[in-house]
Amino acid sequence: MKLYDYILSPSCYKVRLMAALSGVSLDIRPVDFHPGLEHRGPELLALNPAGSIPILQDGDLILTESSAILVYLAAKAGPEWLASDKPEEAARVQQWLSFSGRLTASLGGARLHEMLLRPGDIDALQRQGVAALRELELGLVEQAERGMRFLAADRPTVADIACFPYVALAPDGGVSLDAYPAIRLWSRRLRSLDRFIEMPGVHRLHELKAEPTVEESKV
Amino acid sequence: MHSDTTGSWTPVALSADLPAGTVIPARISAGSIALWRSESGRLSASADRCPHRGMSLSHGFVRGEALSCIYHGWSYAQGGNCIRIPAHPGLTPPETIRARTFAVEEAGGVIWVAADETETKPPVLEGLTPLRSMTTDAGISAIETAAGTKASAEGLIEPAGGTLCLLVSARNDGQTLIHVLLKGETSPADRIAASREAESLRRAAEDLQKKGIAS
Repeated sequence: MKLYDYILSPSCYKVRLMAALSGVSLDIRPVDFHPGLEHRGPELLALNPAGSIPILQDGDLILTESSAILVYLAAKAGPEWLASDKPEEAARVQQWLSFSGRLTASLGGARLHEMLLRPGDIDALQRQGVAALRELELGLVEQAERGMRFLAADRPTVADIACFPYVALAPDGGVSLDAYPAIRLWSRRLRSLDRFIEMPGVHRLHELKAEPTVEESKV
Repeated sequence: MHSDTTGSWTPVALSADLPAGTVIPARISAGSIALWRSESGRLSASADRCPHRGMSLSHGFVRGEALSCIYHGWSYAQGGNCIRIPAHPGLTPPETIRARTFAVEEAGGVIWVAADETETKPPVLEGLTPLRSMTTDAGISAIETAAGTKASAEGLIEPAGGTLCLLVSARNDGQTLIHVLLKGETSPADRIAASREAESLRRAAEDLQKKGIAS
């Protein structure tokens, strides 16, 4: 399975994270997104006319929407990451998968503006980002009242993976996460999952790493 | 919040949002703080600045009974004194390396921090159960107008005819921190409804603030 990938892209990170959590090994094909704009070049446009990454290629299947890629990886290797057959849970997964597109547009747009100088109305992007974070916070508060620790169930699903990266990287776009205690606790839960992997700016819970010993420090 | 009753005490967070072994950022009139709870459950508040290189200690992590800076791993005890410098494993850090600390009190599920030395205790809030915290771009007077009632000396705003009670504190960045508390026994459905009611109040207060009506 080949992933056209860019290390700093939160959408590509979703795919790498889902693959790691469900035990799928990916053949990573790095894309020179910045400054090369390789995703807008002829080779990648032939695969994805929309000119976006990630692109997942598996045989003659080509997927270019990150939520679809998450569902594909989970269906192949980690069905427990999909919704169960409970209608409410299935609907919640779809709700947050769709919602994740708004995080990409708002927080992701603000991040591209601040990091890669992409033109845009930064105030509007940040305002929309805050509105999205407030919705997510409210959703998590309500889930907690239902005895559920994640967005769609009491276990993490593709919905959590779809929403997590752009939220975790919101400060890159100048949007603070200080005001969202439920999001903070949810992020800790995700970052302490067994097979969690990092990307630049998103780290595993540091306290879960072994404390360096004096002997190791001397080496 | 600096009313006569609360003195220098600020309600900075809800207990449930700071589990053992975690650190969070918070604000008091004296500035930004790192609020943390050790693995054994002891609460501490220190200035949010590592004395070594100025990194925010709230970006750090809690291991055992110490708070460590994410930058170079300098560790601090509850009293703010540095107890470990990983780059100098044989060194006992001198007493002079310390982060400023503040008094912390926890009562009824609310964590209070004092901005300065005080003999007083934070107010006791009887019969109220915490639900959630939120911040708003509106000031206290806009929230009062939206709720149709004034804040008490303790900073409590109680809209008429409901279970909702808002504990508000103004921050020096123009935002207001709201702890949503509930009166009496409530079911999960009540709590979800109250949480949405608080969101509506926040929307109304922010509308008022934007239009300049409450200023």
